[in-house]
Amino acid sequence: MSEMSRMKFYCDDHRCIECDGCSVACAEAHELPTGINRRKVVTLNEGIEGKEFSTSIACMHCTDAPCEQVCPVDCFYIREDGIVLHDKEVCIGCGYCLYACPFGAPQFPRDGAFGTKGAMDKCTMCAGGPLETNSAHERELYGQNLIAEGKVPVCAAMCSTKALIVGEASEVAKIYRQRISSKGKGVQSAPYGWSKAYGN
Amino acid sequence: MRKYLYFIIATLFLASAAFAAESQIWGDGRVLNIFGYGQVESLKLGPLFTMLQKEYFEVIFFGILVGVPSAFFLHYLIIGPKVFPHGGKKIYVFNLFHRFIHQIAALSFIVIVPTGFIIIFGAQLGGGSLVRLAKDMHGLATIPFAIVVIPMFLMWLKDAFFNFDDVKWIMIVGGYLSKEKKPIPAGKFNAGQKMWYWIATLGGMIMIITGATMYFMDFDIELLRQISGLTQIDLLRFAAIVHNVMGFGVVVFFIVHLYMAMFAIKGAVHAIIDGHMEDEEVKILHGSYYKKLKEEGKI
Repeated sequence: MSEMSRMKFYCDDHRCIECDGCSVACAEAHELPTGINRRKVVTLNEGIEGKEFSTSIACMHCTDAPCEQVCPVDCFYIREDGIVLHDKEVCIGCGYCLYACPFGAPQFPRDGAFGTKGAMDKCTMCAGGPLETNSAHERELYGQNLIAEGKVPVCAAMCSTKALIVGEASEVAKIYRQRISSKGKGVQSAPYGWSKAYGN
Repeated sequence: MRKYLYFIIATLFLASAAFAAESQIWGDGRVLNIFGYGQVESLKLGPLFTMLQKEYFEVIFFGILVGVPSAFFLHYLIIGPKVFPHGGKKIYVFNLFHRFIHQIAALSFIVIVPTGFIIIFGAQLGGGSLVRLAKDMHGLATIPFAIVVIPMFLMWLKDAFFNFDDVKWIMIVGGYLSKEKKPIPAGKFNAGQKMWYWIATLGGMIMIITGATMYFMDFDIELLRQISGLTQIDLLRFAAIVHNVMGFGVVVFFIVHLYMAMFAIKGAVHAIIDGHMEDEEVKILHGSYYKKLKEEGKI
């Protein structure tokens, strides 16, 4: 897989204003039940001067995704463009992917008499699932498939400060470099979460 | 006993109530997940669990599932089972209460162990409804075991402490490597049975606690978090690791226990069905117990 075609998320924590718009847009677009947060804005190092920042977190669609490695039923598959998806009809809701995930991305609908967990739900980068593209069944289980329509995932599309960017790795890297060079000062480390998600 | 039942019902009730409450893992709790994964100051349980689950757990369970029965198959062919005359004098060893408690635990294990294997080899079985059903049965069958595990622990406790007989027993591997029939040093339970007792009861309780932690997932065990200093997500990772590692021991001894009762000693299973053991069986396999009964004039 060439680096050119790999899809990545990037949240610029200098721009994120913790407005929660991305998670609301996501929940609305995919008609997520209450309690399921495919995307969430979190504040890290809260209260520590100079270190506190907010960032938007969802499934990062990691290279060598840990969730895919631990799944006992192998319900994950990684698309050629790097998007990590899973088959909800194979998933047994065991929770192992959550234990393996560095970002707390996997969500489990909590219903049933004794709290039986349903199939896992997570960010699909708006790329649906293994079912027929844009079918009603796919939409019901995985939400909208905007990637198939050539559209930008809703979270990034609506981000008012353009902190959240999604796209091909090379394009994301270009924007990232532009932003850093225009700032023209300070030392910039890699975007938050990138070393864990995409390696170095 | 009734108090105990109430406790279990209350736990289940609270567990479902907890789902409506604030989440320990998702929402704002997600920050703790990120911090707890692999940062310098954390226990790095996330990467550890990922490595173990990816590389080792399935392979080890497969090794146990194939290796232990194969070893016993060879044992059966080469050394063969121990046969004692049936129909002679019998000694009453397990009362009705013992047998009842044991049978409930046995029924649970007959469901728990195979469904556990179905989950472990879920990928080979294609996942989906079969494995999902196995996962639910795995949890449901735990309820009867959870009810009997404490009575079982208490009723056999005094016979399960290790003593000098057990050292001698281990030196001769319980006499199972020879065909000779001479009294073997063992009390009411031999060293092997004692090991199984501790693994089934204390190990079983660990399995119940870690299993329930994973099953209910977001169940807020404030006390446990305070004692351990772990976040909810790290508790879950820890529970998953312990549940698998303890599982190795439980499964190995479960297979040993089945082989001994069903094949290695012909008719041994009747001791837990009608409570009686053959006179000679006790005399040979539980030498010290036989001597003690004789001194007490019980036989």
